[in-house]
Amino acid sequence: MKDVSLTVNGNPVAARVEPRLSLADFLREHELLTGTHLGCEHGVCGACTILIDGAPARSCIAYAVACEGADIRTIEGLDDDPVTAELRAAFSAEHALQCGYCTPAMLVTARDIVLRLPHADEARIRRELAGNLCRCTGYLGIVRAIERVIAARKPR
Amino acid sequence: MVMRQNVADGGVGIGARLPRKEDARFLRGRGEFVADIRLPGLLEIAFARSPLAHARIRGIEKPVGREGDVFTHADLTDVRPIRAVAGLPGFKPSAQGVLASEKVRHVGELVAMCLAATRAEAEDLAAATFIEFDELPVVADVRAACRPGAPLVHEEWGDNLLLETVAEGDLAELARTAPVKVSRSLKTARQCMSPLEGRGVVAQWREREGQLVLHSASQMPHIVRTGLAECLGLDEGRVRVISPDVGGGFGYKGILLPEEVCAAWAAMRLGRPVRWIEDRREQLTANANCREHHYELTAYADRDGRLLGLDCEAMVDAGAYSSYPFSAALEPAQVASILPGPYRFDHYRCRSLAVATNKPPILPYRGVARAGVCYAIEVLLDAVARAVGKEPYEVRLLNLVPPEAMPFDNITKKHFDSGDYPESVRRAVAAIGLDGIRARQAQRDLTGERIGVGFAVYNEQGAHGTSVYYGWGIPMVPGHEQASARLTPDGGLELRVGVHSHGQGLETSLAQVAHEVLGIAPAKVSLVHGDTALTPYSTGTWGSRCAVMAGGAVAAACRALGERAKKIGARLLQTDYASVRLAAGEIVGPAGSVGLAEIARVWYRAPQNLPDDVDPGGLDVTIGYKPQRDTGTFSYACHAALVSVDSEIGAVELIDYVVVEDGGRLINPMIVDGQILGGAAQGIGTALYEEMPFDAEGQPLASTLADYCLPGATEVPAIRILHMQTPSPYTEFGQKGIGESGAIGPPAAIACAVNDALKDLGVEIGELPITPRRILAALDEAERGGR
Amino acid sequence: MKPAPFAYERPGSLAEACALLAEGGAKLLAGGQSLGPMLNLRLVQPEMLVDLAGLDELKASERLVDGARLGALVTHAQIEDGRAPDPTGGILPRVACGIAYRAIRNRGTVGGSLAHADPAADWLTVLAALGATAIVTGADGERRVPVAEFATGAFETVLGEAEILAAVAIPTVAAGARWGYVKIARKPGEFADAMAAVLRDPERDVERVVVGATHGAPIIVEDFSEAVLAESLARFDPIARRLCRAAVRRALAEADA
Repeated sequence: MKDVSLTVNGNPVAARVEPRLSLADFLREHELLTGTHLGCEHGVCGACTILIDGAPARSCIAYAVACEGADIRTIEGLDDDPVTAELRAAFSAEHALQCGYCTPAMLVTARDIVLRLPHADEARIRRELAGNLCRCTGYLGIVRAIERVIAARKPR
Repeated sequence: MVMRQNVADGGVGIGARLPRKEDARFLRGRGEFVADIRLPGLLEIAFARSPLAHARIRGIEKPVGREGDVFTHADLTDVRPIRAVAGLPGFKPSAQGVLASEKVRHVGELVAMCLAATRAEAEDLAAATFIEFDELPVVADVRAACRPGAPLVHEEWGDNLLLETVAEGDLAELARTAPVKVSRSLKTARQCMSPLEGRGVVAQWREREGQLVLHSASQMPHIVRTGLAECLGLDEGRVRVISPDVGGGFGYKGILLPEEVCAAWAAMRLGRPVRWIEDRREQLTANANCREHHYELTAYADRDGRLLGLDCEAMVDAGAYSSYPFSAALEPAQVASILPGPYRFDHYRCRSLAVATNKPPILPYRGVARAGVCYAIEVLLDAVARAVGKEPYEVRLLNLVPPEAMPFDNITKKHFDSGDYPESVRRAVAAIGLDGIRARQAQRDLTGERIGVGFAVYNEQGAHGTSVYYGWGIPMVPGHEQASARLTPDGGLELRVGVHSHGQGLETSLAQVAHEVLGIAPAKVSLVHGDTALTPYSTGTWGSRCAVMAGGAVAAACRALGERAKKIGARLLQTDYASVRLAAGEIVGPAGSVGLAEIARVWYRAPQNLPDDVDPGGLDVTIGYKPQRDTGTFSYACHAALVSVDSEIGAVELIDYVVVEDGGRLINPMIVDGQILGGAAQGIGTALYEEMPFDAEGQPLASTLADYCLPGATEVPAIRILHMQTPSPYTEFGQKGIGESGAIGPPAAIACAVNDALKDLGVEIGELPITPRRILAALDEAERGGR
Repeated sequence: MKPAPFAYERPGSLAEACALLAEGGAKLLAGGQSLGPMLNLRLVQPEMLVDLAGLDELKASERLVDGARLGALVTHAQIEDGRAPDPTGGILPRVACGIAYRAIRNRGTVGGSLAHADPAADWLTVLAALGATAIVTGADGERRVPVAEFATGAFETVLGEAEILAAVAIPTVAAGARWGYVKIARKPGEFADAMAAVLRDPERDVERVVVGATHGAPIIVEDFSEAVLAESLARFDPIARRLCRAAVRRALAEADA
């Protein structure tokens, strides 16, 4: 067992963990932040994507013990985030979710696209979404929702 | 969340694109999936699974010092095997022990259950459980399985033939006389349905209720309850099954799993809650697959391309066991009954074999056998079109059941309810721009561009009921679908249904149905679903049935509730029942009106104001529903795909994709579009990407999502949907089942388009998925004069 | 799908890290984007993970007179975003942008990718084509190995058990040089079925073609000719050969464009 201190959704957390505990399992099982979902546990499907130090990362292949000092933000920590709020409204309006399993991570990735690539067109949005699988929607609603938020932010 | 303002037409009832009520919780990560459920003292389960496809178990050594945490078949002596029989003649039943006893029959079969405080530790125990095997010869291919002397998956059968279905017909005369005769061999791959969330179960024995409470990621909690009770020898009243939020189903979650039975047993034996959460490797390599079809087809036609007859030998690789409740019979028997598709012709013969192999069992995946048969017949019709020198769409128009023939009983006695099939083709031809495409193709020598267009027409039987399923003789026959409607004391509405919503948006669309009948705002309607203790019995969510069956049931329950409210309302308005009506959430009389909320208030909180002869059933109604005919609705569609094939690297790009769809009257068009888009994305996976290959030893060769390729945002184009809305004459609002439809067309449309793009090279691809490797191999063969 | 147990150490110096490796049974953790999946799948079961995250010297980069030195822990995303020195006139960011997915690029490192030596990974092929040098640290100090010779096979490198890839030195690509890089994959972010990189630098008299995504180390063809390429691809099956030749043809065309 190893000690680790990190910040989760703005709150300092100190824990004693088995080194093999993934960051995703740490968040889900220890911190009860179940909005982060496990889809493949090998870094492909993207359902576990969260923010580590502000950048999207797979929490299934990161280990909690290696996150000493890290600033972790999950979907639960984006409740009051303005970009995520715009995305939530757009996702609902464009029917960008069905079963909801990929949705939290999809929002994390979408937020990164909106902030990092404010001029992304449809093709670029699709390429940036390649690392987040959705099995329900066929992606059209997701792409449209991101386009909608990018367009709405442009005049600002 | 306020949603009304987004609805363009101002309505929130049937036909409104109402944003979904369920979105709010998912968008904040507050859905509750089975892996999110926490119970004190929870133990985690991992399974030791067979590494071999076919072997006799000689012995199992539990990890030293942890013997008490590992359970084998020898411990579960009081558990009955899972048996999913079918009543079809000749069907050979199999018994699937929940933990393997003498023999394992596929890689990944459960051998030992290991429990520990964490999943990691349980996996350590599984890794330390030593199983000694005597290897047996493996049968991993349907053709090999049918050869005399083939290894037997179930010795007691005497062969590997699980079921033979024959649609009898005499084509001998046609074979001699038909002017046009076209034959093809076609194959579709084994697939994994791959919902993003896997299966999972949390089981707990609750002493106070004397009940086993099982949370399971299931599409059919009531069926799981029945199956569990049978396996565990419990009264059904001792079992409660709850489907929480479920991360996609697609058929994968329409099964009673041996893992569920094991977990339930462990919870009772240990007196502690336990859980098993399927991981992706288990899903890919150990649990059920779908859709491996082999076809030998011959079409007979006249010189115009009019179909005279169809002859088919089909084989379905059914895997090692028959799954509960659908059984291994559904898919192969369906092949024979639905191969004729939406076409009219006079002579048909089809023999379909279901063959057992040392692979995981199969389950009906979205569209069930339709994706395969649609691919088969549409590729065949393209070949007919080529043989008679016509456009493929012209041959379709010639053979489709025309609108004036509706309703129509086809050659396999399917009763097509309504629609204008040819019109869907004409619209698709126009929308994809066929003339422009042909002009572009004519420029190929100048541009080097290799494009192709393909069309696929099909119809989909949905919401088929008692008469159809009674015929299959499987453990589950849907009857009347029931719903409960209950006014709350403050005038809200609670609906209870036994189906389960896992992406279909029923919390919204059924609220729209209720609104249509009672006028209560959808925001004030709550849906309880997927809990056997709280909802009426239902076979669950499958077969594109919820909009028709649960929609019809909710409407019926709301109507009956409205009648009760009218009686009370008439009294409160001091008038007689005959002179009041229900409108916009109020009971309206000649001289005034009273709202449902006031009626609810009186019933619950001021009963002194009720008449003596009030209906004691109150404002809580459960009622059952069946459509006027239970042979199913037939939605239909024409898909058109425009592809570009890069013949140097074998890549296929989808340039454009059009779906012309007729789902009857649409309850929520936004949700219907979502179902079509998502289904089509899965169909694109079937067409181009998804394949679970096995080697000759029955070892699955794709154990991660890096090997099993699911379509992403760059593989699915911006599909265009055009709606036709021909009501079904038999359903409550004219709606038809539509949930599976999108997945059916793409393999056929894309295969036809690829073949169109390659036709000048004399190359046709006869196997799904159409991978670069298959295209290059076909080109290689053509170059070397193989064709 | 959880890893077998392992111990975890985060050394404060390269020497300490080398010493931990020398004890045996340990694996280095850089970005963990390849190692994580292998651990979760129990395809590797090391006794210990030695996390390099505490070694700031592996995160540092610098411009050199004739190129740049990138610390092994520089991430693909840093390169993509121009947050690392680029002596190649934009080649490195473009390549980085096409590696896996952004969430992977945020964590995955150039050094980790090279040391993992997956034949289908981008940097092995690209940096070999660019003539980069791997800087390797061990108990006996530092040694330099051309990236072209760094991988000895699929998932095999010249690294000794107690050696660490500390950095890569990437030479400047002259303004007049031409570059082509093509990878053929079924989906963006997927491992490539075929890849080829071409560097044509008349100033340095370089005409190099590197074929990656083989089942072994990248195939390096100096002084490219069709005949030499055909010979190096002879052992491939016809379809793989077709894909490799297509990748090379396209990379050459890109360099010529």
